[in-house]
Amino acid sequence: MASGITLIVFMVVALAAPLVEMLYGVGPHDQFQHKLNSLGMPLGYLGGISGEHWFGLEPGLGRDIFIRMVYGMRTSLFIALAAALITTILGVVVGIVAGYLGGKVDAVVSWIIDFALAMPFLIVALAIVPTIALRFYGPRDEIPGWFRVTVLIGVFAVFGWTGSARLVRGQVLSLREREFVEAARASGAGLGHIVFQQLLPNLWAPILVTFSLAVPSYVTGEAALSFLGIGIVEPTPDFGAMIFRSLSYLETDPAYVFFPGITIFLLVLAYNLFGDGLRDALDPKSKR
Amino acid sequence: MLRRRAITAGGVLIIMAAALAACSKTTDEGNQVDTDRVTTGVIATDPKDSRGPAPEVPGATKGGTFTVIRQTKISHMDPQRVYSFAGLVNAPLYARGLTMFKDDGKGHLTLVGDLAETPGKNVNNDCKVWEFKLKSGIKFEDGRPITSKEVAYGIARSFDPDLTGGPTYIQEWLADDAQYDKKWDFKANKTSLPPGLSTPDASTVKFEFAKPRCDLPFALSLPASAPLPADKDTGVNLDNQPFSSGPYKITKHTAGVEVVMERNTHWDPATDPVRHQYPDKIVWTFGPNAEAGANRVIADTGADQTALAWNGVPASLVSKVAGNSTYTPRTLTSPTPSASRLTINTQRVTDLSMRKALNYAIDREGLIKTLGGSTVAVPMTTLMPPSTLGFQGYDAYPAGATGNADEAKKLLAGKTPELVLAVGDDSAEIGTQLKSNLEKAGFKITVRTIPADSKLDETKKKANPWDIWIDNWAADWPSGASILPVLFDGRTIKAEGNSNSSYFNDDALNKEFDRILAMDPAAQAPEWAKLDKKIMTDFAPAVPLFASVGYYLHGSKAGGLYISSVWGYPAFTDVFVKP
Amino acid sequence: MFRFLVKRLLSAISTLIAVSVVTFLMFFALPRDPVMGMCPKNCNAERLERVRQELGLNDPKHEQYLAYMKGIFAGRDLGSSQGGRCDAPCLGYSYVNSEAVTDTFARVLPVTLSVVIPAAILWLLLGVGLGVISALRRGGTLDRLSIGFSLTGASMQLYFVGAVLQLIFIYNLKLLPVPHYTPLLQNPLDWAAGLVLAWWALAFLFSAIYARLSRAQMLETLSEDFIRTARAQGLPKAKVYGRHALRAAITPIVTIAGLDVGGALGGTVITETTFGIQGLGRTAVDAVRSGDLPTIMATVLISAAFIVVANIVVDLLYASIDPRVRLR
Repeated sequence: MASGITLIVFMVVALAAPLVEMLYGVGPHDQFQHKLNSLGMPLGYLGGISGEHWFGLEPGLGRDIFIRMVYGMRTSLFIALAAALITTILGVVVGIVAGYLGGKVDAVVSWIIDFALAMPFLIVALAIVPTIALRFYGPRDEIPGWFRVTVLIGVFAVFGWTGSARLVRGQVLSLREREFVEAARASGAGLGHIVFQQLLPNLWAPILVTFSLAVPSYVTGEAALSFLGIGIVEPTPDFGAMIFRSLSYLETDPAYVFFPGITIFLLVLAYNLFGDGLRDALDPKSKR
Repeated sequence: MLRRRAITAGGVLIIMAAALAACSKTTDEGNQVDTDRVTTGVIATDPKDSRGPAPEVPGATKGGTFTVIRQTKISHMDPQRVYSFAGLVNAPLYARGLTMFKDDGKGHLTLVGDLAETPGKNVNNDCKVWEFKLKSGIKFEDGRPITSKEVAYGIARSFDPDLTGGPTYIQEWLADDAQYDKKWDFKANKTSLPPGLSTPDASTVKFEFAKPRCDLPFALSLPASAPLPADKDTGVNLDNQPFSSGPYKITKHTAGVEVVMERNTHWDPATDPVRHQYPDKIVWTFGPNAEAGANRVIADTGADQTALAWNGVPASLVSKVAGNSTYTPRTLTSPTPSASRLTINTQRVTDLSMRKALNYAIDREGLIKTLGGSTVAVPMTTLMPPSTLGFQGYDAYPAGATGNADEAKKLLAGKTPELVLAVGDDSAEIGTQLKSNLEKAGFKITVRTIPADSKLDETKKKANPWDIWIDNWAADWPSGASILPVLFDGRTIKAEGNSNSSYFNDDALNKEFDRILAMDPAAQAPEWAKLDKKIMTDFAPAVPLFASVGYYLHGSKAGGLYISSVWGYPAFTDVFVKP
Repeated sequence: MFRFLVKRLLSAISTLIAVSVVTFLMFFALPRDPVMGMCPKNCNAERLERVRQELGLNDPKHEQYLAYMKGIFAGRDLGSSQGGRCDAPCLGYSYVNSEAVTDTFARVLPVTLSVVIPAAILWLLLGVGLGVISALRRGGTLDRLSIGFSLTGASMQLYFVGAVLQLIFIYNLKLLPVPHYTPLLQNPLDWAAGLVLAWWALAFLFSAIYARLSRAQMLETLSEDFIRTARAQGLPKAKVYGRHALRAAITPIVTIAGLDVGGALGGTVITETTFGIQGLGRTAVDAVRSGDLPTIMATVLISAAFIVVANIVVDLLYASIDPRVRLR
């Protein structure tokens, strides 16, 4: 329950980012370099925390951490939710097709899954992400922030669908042989009927659980890409990029690490708890 | 149940958070960097300066192991291929050249003969014929004497197209052609010498050039003039195991992991005016990133007490080190010859007043804060960094530390020019900073991020589509000759690989370059300083930004370290380990 | 059994070939010109062209690919700029590292194995141990603590945990040396000391999944009839849980473990970067950044091989642990 409320608070804050900006009075791109010392570190206590800057200022550029976190959450959550949605849908479709049709189709799909699993994700991402913009934008165009967002979602989609596809395929393989599906088939029901009326209703519980656990894994996955320098780029505010940058200030400006770090942890934890709770609620076998 | 789980999880987190918490006030007491260090330099005229041994370093003792911690391996160790800073300061330990800079670490440089008795004899005083007499008693690591034959062979093998990466001055000057390896094929003529290079006797190396090459003694101070016996030439594999002529020899090299150098017993200090041989071993160890390297040296335990963190103190750790006086005796701080400028592509930005407006608008202080503050860079308003011989400071567009937007707007006269700024995707913050800075002065800036790996290659293409970007130049020797003509001689512009990345071409200026280049090197210095100011005042082909600052920490038991006045990186000629 | 193996091997080989082709094509899509990095200051177009020629970068792509693949099985002759003859298995010559790629691997592979294998043992023991304990003490304090621990682990990121652990244990408490790699046989103590933080960080994060999984599996099997029967027959508790319940619970754990270990071997980039250890992962990243094709090919192929082999091993283990599974 608590996890659900936490999640709703996070989502509302993220969605209402412009509203928060209006109330807070500071934008995510405003710089306050006069509040930094000659080493570029925020003046005052705890990374420059003040009534005006609730979570202090970034060293270097001197931007407000609180408002960048609010906007950063929006970016991160959008990427994670979109990636989770796409991979789940893709996985479900492929899984049903492979599981239900079986035979050659299944063999081909299984091979593709094996192939996708064998390609090292980070290396491929490292090769593709920085260069793909060159194919879409002229050399003098500014690459909009949403383009990188789309690319990251796309990269996650290409590699992420295999998990749910495997799961659904396995479920369908066993459901297919059950009496009620056999009965429907024998009574001449069409493919659409069998898939939507017979199979999906029995699949939605595991799918929902997979989905809710995929979201936090994409939040952290996106942060990991930032760690390799292929995440969201400046000036778009983003959680992963923020944490990566702050990490080197662990000793000299712990407040800078603390606020984004604890927030992303709470966000991921809330999702994990929520997913766990969902599983417990939906899976009659899992008794606590 | 769920709530309990959350509470337990939260508990673990609070413990971690407590470990992080630190509460101290950050104030504005700046760390002082000696920005006024000006390099003075001469070419030694007295042969005594070139004689060994080098004066003892006060307090130095023999023995011990000195370690350098670096993130990545040294790209090349083969003296003929060395061109990275790490390689350039390390190579003198195992490779001797014809000349070398004697450096007191305070900006006073003397170019002396290293293997040669003097830094060269300009035979006809026209810089076309040069002779170098070798010292006696100079030996390789296997004890055989070094003669003119091995020195000439070393230079000859730098013509081999397989041996990429090294400097190409000598080759191009001898062949009088940028395509030197076509003019003379090393592989087909291994027993002969390239045109213009000869060895009249066992102790004389002679260069004859088609054009005056007054900078030859400087160019020979690069490790590429190191000698090599032909039978020890292992081609590309020499990179892993160079054959030593200096005080140390490589005894173990695990690529990407470590290089171990031990004393070369055949090196005679009496022949060497610069180097010492204090530690038993000098070891490079590769792997830790800048933060880890600095943290090791900060911790100062065990073997790290005699170590140096090559990657310096990163911006994120500076306030820890700078704010604590216990570290002061262990830090090395100095501006370096590495100068950064905002290059203006003059093919696109043809309007001089717009280029001047950029110079007025620039907020150097904000930019430097973004980079990490005064221990990372010091502002600069000249094209040549203060460490250049004969440097004269000036500010052609005085606008204060944070720029003068009003002055810039006046020059723009109501226009709002749209400029595309190219930045590498690893330094996008600089784009953010420059955009907000320049837009205050009336420019409209489009920030174009490009893959950092290819930024340098792309901006060096003449047909590149961008208007402004940050460039960096570190000269190969501290003379205006290896800065201004390289960066602004319009006759050198080619399709790709341009150092003149402003793509600026002015006939009068080109003539001026030729005039100064034909002068005696000592007389050149003040002329370059004058020309620097003239280029900025008349043409403004770039916005000078900052000189990088070296900020290093070493362990409490390492001594004799200084920042090289030539390269701006720690130098090892005097290094010793305290007992 | 034999037919199954042959089938799996064939599919594995076809996967690896596909991986190699895709990687090769990907390399040519990179914007970086590998030749540019070779002459940093004064290059001209003609010399660059000659280097390209020398390295064979101008040959048709399929010829380059075939030459590379042929080198793996039969060796090949490389130009004098690349160290000459290269015997099978020739993975090419890295013009960035100035050494044969096989030498690079002989160096970095033991590093990655030393990071992953002990960490995997640790996280399996920790995870399964916690899971089993909390299943047996369902609802108790131990159960709650272990669930809390594993949820915390699952919600943290390696680079974050790694940085904090290093700060505490190395720089503040000075209990451990800076992470580094010493060969096991050279000095086992130093080997462990240099890697122990990386093992724990990995174990902290990974054990969560196993704790959760083994707890659920144990609970499920504990409620099954055969366990209840065994208990009713008066068999000792330890024997029932140890022999029967755990054995049934372990099948899915092995599956995930196999895939995780395979994946971890191929994907240690983050671990290695966090702890500053030069293994397979960092070598791969460096290679992509510098456009070092032979090294990219080799790292990708080797990590893919780990995953493919792990898959086969998992299938075989599955069959030997759980008699209900028969291989087709």
